[in-house]
Amino acid sequence: MSEAEIQYEYSILERSRRNPKAFGELYEKYFDRIFNYVYRQTDDEDLTADLCSQTFLIVLKNLDRYEFRGLPFSAWLYKIASNEVNKHYRKEKKNKVFSIEELRVRELIEQASESWDEEIIQRLLNYLKDLPTEMLEVLELRFFEDKDFKEIAFILDISESGAKMRTYRALDRLRRNFNLKIKYDGKE
Amino acid sequence: MGRNEIRLRRQKVSSGRIAQHRNYGELMERHERDVRLRRIVKTFIYFLIIAALLVMFLIVRRWEEKKVNAKPQTGLVRTLEVSELNQPKS
Repeated sequence: MSEAEIQYEYSILERSRRNPKAFGELYEKYFDRIFNYVYRQTDDEDLTADLCSQTFLIVLKNLDRYEFRGLPFSAWLYKIASNEVNKHYRKEKKNKVFSIEELRVRELIEQASESWDEEIIQRLLNYLKDLPTEMLEVLELRFFEDKDFKEIAFILDISESGAKMRTYRALDRLRRNFNLKIKYDGKE
Repeated sequence: MGRNEIRLRRQKVSSGRIAQHRNYGELMERHERDVRLRRIVKTFIYFLIIAALLVMFLIVRRWEEKKVNAKPQTGLVRTLEVSELNQPKS
């Protein structure tokens, strides 16, 4: 996202502080992305819709508190959405669900390996099951949402080096177990 | 170990299905309701604080009034005592 786009979004936010109706533009722009992000962590359409409206309500409520830190506004949205999902799982005391798109998984494997089959995908799923939640969160943001490490660090409330370390460790295990050549950015 | 449940699905949720859940008008209504509710709660809390301060003020005033009213009686007793002391013994 360019600097001009980030500034433009910030100007919308400034307007929204005086008139919340102005926020509609950002709502329309980001609703689908936040929906997909939350859906990937719930696999439940109605629950996702609830968590999404809760996310945007919190944003509207806290517009005055938003501080520009050189990151796109969407990072703040993702952070709130992530907190809402975690709050839901803490309340329900359930294991977290990660529902990933087969198409994207195939894309990633194709980029990283010349040959792959159904068995690799199944092994990969089993491998992901055993990964700690923190690593899965980082991988999701990195490879399914295409976020950079600065944004990931902000969204998950960790340091940038921490985000890099988690990704590196997860990918290192992948390389060793599956002979894949995935790099930080998901490309060979 | 299995800390998390990993599910594989064919593809993303379609834009059409997501659009069914996208409703800015409803969100604004909820937001305005929340703002109104917060305003009411805030007003009520201010009212409670003012009422508590008023009650405290009245209690203190009453206590001070009682104190002021009680003073002359004590003074009278003392005066009597002093005057008695000053009287020459017969």
